[in-house]
Amino acid sequence: MARKLNRAPFPKRKKTGLGSLSRPMLFTWFMLIGFILLFAPQNLTNDLQFAFARIFRWPLTIGKNISLYARTTQAPTEFNGKTQYENYIANLQEQLREKHEEVVELAGLRERLHALENAGLVVADVIRASINATKGELTINRGKDDGIAKGQFVLGDNSIIGNISDVSLRTARLKLFTDPASRIAVRIGQLNIDRLMVGSGNNLAKIRLLSTKHKVAVGDKVLAQKNPGFLDAAMIIGVVAQCKKDDRNPSLWDITVKSVCDTERLNTVTVIVMNPKE
Amino acid sequence: MRWFRFAVFIAFVAVLQASQVLNMIALTNLGIKPNLLLALLVFFTIYCSTTDAIIASFTIGFAADISIGSVIGSQTISFGLFGTALAYFNRLIAIRNIPYQSLVIFITGCLAGSLAHFLALLKGLSAVANVYTVILGTALYSAILGPFLFLPTAWWMRIKTQRFKRY
Repeated sequence: MARKLNRAPFPKRKKTGLGSLSRPMLFTWFMLIGFILLFAPQNLTNDLQFAFARIFRWPLTIGKNISLYARTTQAPTEFNGKTQYENYIANLQEQLREKHEEVVELAGLRERLHALENAGLVVADVIRASINATKGELTINRGKDDGIAKGQFVLGDNSIIGNISDVSLRTARLKLFTDPASRIAVRIGQLNIDRLMVGSGNNLAKIRLLSTKHKVAVGDKVLAQKNPGFLDAAMIIGVVAQCKKDDRNPSLWDITVKSVCDTERLNTVTVIVMNPKE
Repeated sequence: MRWFRFAVFIAFVAVLQASQVLNMIALTNLGIKPNLLLALLVFFTIYCSTTDAIIASFTIGFAADISIGSVIGSQTISFGLFGTALAYFNRLIAIRNIPYQSLVIFITGCLAGSLAHFLALLKGLSAVANVYTVILGTALYSAILGPFLFLPTAWWMRIKTQRFKRY
């Protein structure tokens, strides 16, 4: 009697519920989408983040207010209403000093009444704030439609807090000067030397490559330098929080700068739009 | 898998993560806070079928990208890759104990965070100081809080966490 060959039934492939798409194919397709998103131009992919911020604006604002309320009840903040006026005075002092220089040097040929005379100021609400060690960004509810463009400087409590990094039609994102990717030309107090200030996260920024022969003290004002087309006059951006010799090169300062306004508490900011369209 | 419930829940958690509410429990001056989406990634890869886990991983990664990410695509890829790997790993060794789940959240957080950062660098994002401390801290914080999020997630998603099943 011939032996009957018994074969185990071949296991049926489990259906994935997505037609004929197998798991490896599904994974491959998703990875492909991921890489397309990763290498797509940033201005296109930013729109997704802006759309998220716009759609969930209401809960995001509530979350921000809850956080601010908790902070207010927990501990008193070093920033108060007085800071705004101090910053305002610092800006006026700086404008006055510049004006004096102009008068002396140009013998009154050129006179400027106000640093922001030709600028349009766009007030925007803060939708979302992402401020931590690796990031310092605010999302605001104004965009291209309101004349906002990349690179424009933004004021908070009368001090420069950063500049616009991405813009969509109705939303924009500003990079705080404390963001690790931020680079802004600044001047310290009365020193007539430009240096690059690099963000270091946590509401702080660093100024390096300044020789120790220059006198710098804690509390010295740090001013964002003029930037033609974006900022017509130097304006206060922060104060020196710490000043020590650089560990790697003792002939240079390692200066830490802190903001002069509490960016996490800001509900509105003002964007400086130079030469606005009528 | 109840995909509508999943979408609503992920949107809710993404908004919670993007809002500053979690800043109230942020630790150290680096502002380290738990990544709830990371905990959800581990939950769905452990308790769902492999196919559902793959879809859920990429979706959660995308949600992380648009809510807290710097560069779109980096979290999608890293969450998707490690979520899928974890789903297949879960077929071999079922991760049911809370300490193991915490460990898995920690490891996944470190790996996914590092890969996302590497991909962001590849895209042109400038290197940031303390980034690995933040990744490590976030993974650790998520590992501690993550398993406590599993119960409400299982209730909302109507998933039985006690059922022992390998897909």
